[in-house]
Amino acid sequence: MTTPQVFGEEIALPATLERSLRLVFHTARLPLRWSDCSATANFLSAYYAGLFEAEYSAAQTVDLTHSLAYLANELIENAVKFRAPGDVVVETGRHGGELILRLTNFIAPETAGAFRALLAELTAGDPGELLLERIEANAADETSSGSGLGILTLMNDYGIRFCWTFRPAPATDGAIHLETIARLPLPAA
Amino acid sequence: MEINTNEYQVWTEESTVYFEGTMRLGGTDSYAPVNDLLTQALAANPTALTLDLTGLEFLNSSGINLLAKFTIAVRKQGGVLLTVRGTPRIPWQGKSLPNLKKLYADLVLVIE
Repeated sequence: MTTPQVFGEEIALPATLERSLRLVFHTARLPLRWSDCSATANFLSAYYAGLFEAEYSAAQTVDLTHSLAYLANELIENAVKFRAPGDVVVETGRHGGELILRLTNFIAPETAGAFRALLAELTAGDPGELLLERIEANAADETSSGSGLGILTLMNDYGIRFCWTFRPAPATDGAIHLETIARLPLPAA
Repeated sequence: MEINTNEYQVWTEESTVYFEGTMRLGGTDSYAPVNDLLTQALAANPTALTLDLTGLEFLNSSGINLLAKFTIAVRKQGGVLLTVRGTPRIPWQGKSLPNLKKLYADLVLVIE
């Protein structure tokens, strides 16, 4: 792979988002554990609750903070499961009428190949139909872990739009740099 | 039978399986004890079975997959009235539980 490859809906974002927060996990110094996914999702959710409360109703705030928690947990779980050595960066912030979560990490070339094939399938049809199809297929296979279901629930149940960009990262022994941008719609204020 | 951890609890009372807390486990292997509990409840050939999720604050997609697989197992077994109880207080339930009803039209979904 020599040029960037993009899946999903492309979006140009500023380098720094409005009301942004950036967390960098220097995984060479401290391991990223499974329990960190939940802890980070809960922190982001609690942090943004304060911002949402000022603008939205109590019910909207609960809905948004739960959506952010589910989104952040799913994406960080994926990063923990599939990452290659290197920093994991989680950035959140507002852009237009959306809350953005941008996550970057490194993955091995073979992992990147499998994920690109999965994304080609997940972005090729209606997420609601694909979700049911994949659940049925998973149920027929005892050992299946349901890969792709997290992304499909985010798209179908939460209305989240995604853009994934794979870039070569020459300085990292052939690893691929993966950027995942998720866009959670915010209610009209 | 019951599962008790710091993060979540799952237990059976008569024909109801209760879930409480936050379940964000790392995939099929980690969910195996919960899957075993559900499988046992179904193996008893009940005429009715209820999953009470009203205390389950968070569930990751691996957990949603577990519930979906169980729904299909109940559908395949036949003769079991499956009720899933959720609450509008917990947003993921209103968003994701309707998918179970799409997998099994006879499932009774109560979100109140």
